[in-house]
Amino acid sequence: MNRIGVFICHCGINISNTVDVDKLTEFAAGLNGVIVAKNYKYMCSDVGAQLIKEATREHTLDALIIASCSPRMHEHTFRGVAEESGVNPFKVEIVNIREQCSWVHKEKVQGTEKAASLLKGAVAKAHLLEPLQKSKSAVVHEALVIGAGIAGIQAALDLANDGFKVFLVEKEASIGGRMSQLDKTFPTLDCSSCILTPKMMEVGNHPNIELLTYTEVVSVEGRVGNFKVAVKKKPRYVDMTKCTGCTSCVAACRMKGKVPDEFNMKRGKRSAIYIPFPQAIPLKCTIDPKSCIFLKTGKCGKGPLCVEACEPKAIDFTQKEEIVTLSVGTIIVATGFDLLDPEALYEYGYAKTPNVITTLEFERFVSPSGPSEGHIIVPSTGEPPKSVTYILCVGSRDETQCKWCCRIGCMSALKQVYLIREKLGPEVEINLCYTDIRSFGKGYEEFYRTIRSKGVNFFRGRPSEVRSTKEGLVIDIFDTTTNKLFEIKSDMVVLVPALVPRAGSEEFSRTMNLSRSSDGFFLEAHPKLRPSDTFVNGIFIAGCCQGPKDIADTVAQASAAASKAAAILSAKELENDPMIAAVEPELCAGCGVCVAVCTYKARNMNTITNIAEVDEALCAGCGACIAACPSNASIHKNLTKQQLISMIDEIL
Amino acid sequence: MAAREILPVLGVDAVYPEDFSCCGEHVKSVNQLITLYLSARNMAVCEKNGLENIYVPCSDCHLALSETKRVLNGSAELKERINTALASENLKYTGAVTLYHTLDLLHDYIGVEKIKSLVKKPFNGITVATHYGCKTIRPTEVGRPDNAENPQKMEKILTAIGVNTQPYPEKLDCCGASLLANLPETPLTKTGQKLKAIAEQGFAAMVDACPWCHKMYDSKQAKALETVASKSAVPVVNLLQIVGIALGIDKEKLGLNLNSSPAEKIAAEVTAS
Repeated sequence: MNRIGVFICHCGINISNTVDVDKLTEFAAGLNGVIVAKNYKYMCSDVGAQLIKEATREHTLDALIIASCSPRMHEHTFRGVAEESGVNPFKVEIVNIREQCSWVHKEKVQGTEKAASLLKGAVAKAHLLEPLQKSKSAVVHEALVIGAGIAGIQAALDLANDGFKVFLVEKEASIGGRMSQLDKTFPTLDCSSCILTPKMMEVGNHPNIELLTYTEVVSVEGRVGNFKVAVKKKPRYVDMTKCTGCTSCVAACRMKGKVPDEFNMKRGKRSAIYIPFPQAIPLKCTIDPKSCIFLKTGKCGKGPLCVEACEPKAIDFTQKEEIVTLSVGTIIVATGFDLLDPEALYEYGYAKTPNVITTLEFERFVSPSGPSEGHIIVPSTGEPPKSVTYILCVGSRDETQCKWCCRIGCMSALKQVYLIREKLGPEVEINLCYTDIRSFGKGYEEFYRTIRSKGVNFFRGRPSEVRSTKEGLVIDIFDTTTNKLFEIKSDMVVLVPALVPRAGSEEFSRTMNLSRSSDGFFLEAHPKLRPSDTFVNGIFIAGCCQGPKDIADTVAQASAAASKAAAILSAKELENDPMIAAVEPELCAGCGVCVAVCTYKARNMNTITNIAEVDEALCAGCGACIAACPSNASIHKNLTKQQLISMIDEIL
Repeated sequence: MAAREILPVLGVDAVYPEDFSCCGEHVKSVNQLITLYLSARNMAVCEKNGLENIYVPCSDCHLALSETKRVLNGSAELKERINTALASENLKYTGAVTLYHTLDLLHDYIGVEKIKSLVKKPFNGITVATHYGCKTIRPTEVGRPDNAENPQKMEKILTAIGVNTQPYPEKLDCCGASLLANLPETPLTKTGQKLKAIAEQGFAAMVDACPWCHKMYDSKQAKALETVASKSAVPVVNLLQIVGIALGIDKEKLGLNLNSSPAEKIAAEVTAS
């Protein structure tokens, strides 16, 4: 029989408006084993904590019940209060009378009745609570960053500069990500490569960063402080130690100018052996096995010309895929985004004509290293356009495609409008069809104002159709500011497509055990207060893999994720949550079901006794093995069957 | 007329229940309950006669019936209300009837391959402009026989009978028929513009899949062309008519002589066999 104290929180008026706290306190005081019951306006405040501590000492309590908000909010706080008052922190039971009572009931009578009945159950359980001790486990002081776009680069550099070893994994042949494809950035018009390349160089040369390009994550095991990550190094068919990046092989390749170039959004052509872009890090060649004649057929003319052209003899067709296991303490996921394929919206004509392009394709055209060497051209003719029309929100804010705002579309279109004016002069007609111009960031509204003085026709509405006619493209748009239907004739159309999760992110989320929000982006632990944490302790997210954002926000989130990761990496050892699985050895039949269902690899079979065991450092307390065990031998500490049944008995 | 001729050739056993009523599509904006009742009534008549499928050649009626199915499936309350009204005629709507429009009947139920195998007089490769009709393909959420933005079923059916098609900028333009009663100028202009564009691009004919649109492009063609000052008449036929010709059905039986546009011309475009 424990000596129990019950502490009821008003949560300002959040609880007390719908739950009669005085009546509840009186009710609690009469329950079996309850020595003291008190209520207070804000139990989570210092004064509230002091009230709990004093009552605990005065009445020598040995179990506490806090009736307040969800345990996800303040369980941690109250366990701390218990510890400071000399009570085992795991002899604290939270009753959620806010989310489960006051917020879901309208009538005070019902709210109070439900709170009382939940409280009764908690008292029954509190008598059975076990004091638990936290075990400790060592931390591997190395980090893994997945994805080497601007988010991954920033996070890796922050951690490396803090003195931690970082593995930076990138699935493409070069680091740089989406930002490396951009020409200029809004609203300052900084050259994207000029600000990104120094950071890429730093990553390439940093003694604390081990760069693993052309590499993908295969599996993740373990838990915070000690993850085991298997990565697959794809064969480049080029010896990285010998290749000098001279590109003689690229010029010699028989497939030269025949392979659609992904870096240029397939608007340019490359060879089968290639370097994605001139500033690539590492500046080494890679052979694309899908287009290399030799790799596909086993022969290439009288012998591969790349081998002939390569002076340092770096080409090696015998390279095989290699799986490497990395041991790290934390992981930062920064896998970025894709653009919605505009072919999904047939009415915008992307599938009908080459003269409808996306903003990212435009970035490549306007980039000096792009397919037209920086000249803005109509793709079908190669001539500069006399008129360009932008269509914003292509698939964004659209119930049939992506409900969310892409957050960068308006500004990226305005920036490109600026570049067109700068490069092609005042004669070019520029039309912009928008839904709302969202210029929310620092300096963005000012930039929008600048563009408004540049002779751009703004149409508020979404075009119903882009028609491809002999005279060029014809866009039908109903302008909602003038209530008129317009027909715009234009040489080319630039679509601003929605931002969507990277292809394969569903599978990747399963590999990493990450949750995704309904839009498919990775889910943060709290939308406001833990934006770079995930529900997996020790794994953080940064950049557009969490949701659309601009470069400035991406860098800020990356640094936040890095500092969160650094906090773990700098700890000597980590405390393990003791509310995990345990085994009743006399009940275990040794069937091994628990081992099979455990996704954390925390369950194993003792080969001598044939009794299942729990690895306390790996167990996440998910409960899968407890539900699966046919002999009731797997138990969840402080959530045992006996404890739960006693609660149910009392409540019913 | 064409439908009655074609169905037996394609192996479809068609019956024509006598107590069908109007679908009520055009009073929908005034009183939706009437539309729901009338459309549900037609489906209930089929159910009473033990019929599983209903072929609705008119896009307006097909839309009314489809929408009724969707609304009643989503509301047990409305369904009960409609059934209470139907009870006086000893009818009951359960929603068991499957709907077919000309497009999915030919393309999905019968199948392009089967049509191809039944062709007796294949066309000689004339190029026609296709017109689906807004209500044939929209609104998507109600469930329409083809994609709203890029419908292709008519193209595939026509290819099977030796007719070529080609995308054209005005393909999805509306005929405007719904405005004919109040603002006759507007639909006649819309219809005229589309016919003019089709003539200018050198199409041999226009094939439509909606009787209402057909009325605009065929029966009202002379007036519509007058409105846009065009003198180029365009042969306009319904999809059933052109398929019927290829299946070797007599052109009078398909009602080709009843079209106001020079539709009979296209009957001559078959390869001599």
